[in-house]
Amino acid sequence: MRNSETAISIKSLTKFYKKFQALNEVSFQVKRGDFFAFLGPNGAGKTTTINCLTGLSNYQSGEVKIFGYDVTSEYLHSRRLIGLCAQEFNFDPFLSIYNLLVYQAEYFGIPPLEAKNRANQLLERFNLSDKRNCKHRALSGGMKKRLLLCRALIHDPEILILDEPTAGCDLELKFLIWDYLAQLNREGKTIFLTTHYMEEAEKLCKTIGIINHGGMVRIGDKKQILQDKSLEEIFLEITGSE
Amino acid sequence: MLHLITNPIGVWALSKREIHRFFSVANQTIFPPLVSSALFMYIFGVAIGSRINFASTGFSYLQFIVPGLMAMHLISSSYENTSSSLFIGRWHNHIQEILLSPLSYIEMVLGLLAGGVARGITVCVGVWGISFIFTQTSVAHPLALLYFMVMIAVIFSCAGMMGALWAEDFGMLSIWNIYLIVPLALLGGVFHPLSMLPAPLQILSHFNPMYYLICGIRLSMTNSGDTSLAICAIVAFLLASLFFVATVYLFKIGYKLRT
Repeated sequence: MRNSETAISIKSLTKFYKKFQALNEVSFQVKRGDFFAFLGPNGAGKTTTINCLTGLSNYQSGEVKIFGYDVTSEYLHSRRLIGLCAQEFNFDPFLSIYNLLVYQAEYFGIPPLEAKNRANQLLERFNLSDKRNCKHRALSGGMKKRLLLCRALIHDPEILILDEPTAGCDLELKFLIWDYLAQLNREGKTIFLTTHYMEEAEKLCKTIGIINHGGMVRIGDKKQILQDKSLEEIFLEITGSE
Repeated sequence: MLHLITNPIGVWALSKREIHRFFSVANQTIFPPLVSSALFMYIFGVAIGSRINFASTGFSYLQFIVPGLMAMHLISSSYENTSSSLFIGRWHNHIQEILLSPLSYIEMVLGLLAGGVARGITVCVGVWGISFIFTQTSVAHPLALLYFMVMIAVIFSCAGMMGALWAEDFGMLSIWNIYLIVPLALLGGVFHPLSMLPAPLQILSHFNPMYYLICGIRLSMTNSGDTSLAICAIVAFLLASLFFVATVYLFKIGYKLRT
């Protein structure tokens, strides 16, 4: 990796959807090994920022780098370093969940034998082994959430980007995901999390960034931000929500 | 081309997935064109064709339409494969699995192309196989036939991807095939030699690119046609190059793939 200390670097990122400005000169950095909570109300620009990071969105100006690799001009390098756990269940309907993971690993250049081993390990880790030959439509909502995580982790990325990973999960699954994310972070993975659950961000994250109306309004160490108030109070103060 | 592929495992995986997809629904992708070809050969070739005087050409009307049917189904199968695969990928948004991976835009197109080419050639060879039920057809120039099969499959696989990117719903997906590709293919000489047309229509047919593609397949098999093999080969190569470059460009700019 070109820059081993800064996992994500965003400078003056500006994005328009036709005339609507979704991101306005957004700049921030995420250090390697950080657990970064990216918070904001609906429509603030969280998913748009993620899409720019992962190459799913074009942007009008600014610079986005993953470990020093530009996501536009050096996308072949930057994409290898990112695993995305999206909000929606966007799986290939023709494939079993096992084949889905194997193919996904192979798209990242992982040889077939190793791809199969990784798929088996992840399915076992997330209690999906007995569903390996099922198509994703046969899975419950919680199982699909776990499958999203498996797919994001199949190529062992340095950065895991999670877009509301526990939305709609029951308590048991939420705790399972929290434990696993904390473990991954302890192992050195950089985690970039968006969530609407303040207690999730407060419990898991080391650094917090808050975006509102397409602009970064607060970023800093969790301890600095949460001095004598809860994250929820601070969030409501900053975003002006009631 | 080889030095442009930096992720061969990824390209091979995408190719495998595309080929697996159409073989897993062979009842919808492989067998229908074979059945319809058998019916065309029986009705137009055996029942009606036996009354058409084709003696001057040295082969029967049935032997004339076999290459035409092979070309027609090669065209439509290639187009349908990539258009449906890519459009369903956009519809379900699992196209993100590819867009997030470290595949270059050329590699993405090549992987998707593999499915269209494989299905087109499978159906084309299948139609030829079916023809042996009714008549004997030989191949005068096997390498030329392979060349035209690949070139035609590339052209219409790329056209299928462009159609899938352009379409907003399933209705729009088939518009190009129904209103442009199939009519041009039929007018391009699937069932008739150009010499059967009045002079003005013969001239007009030379502006139909399908004519050269169908003629290329026919010349490769029967060594008999209205134009030269070299001209057909050049037209096929130019069209394949143009469509391939245009498709890669659309992937590169993220046309309807990235927001």
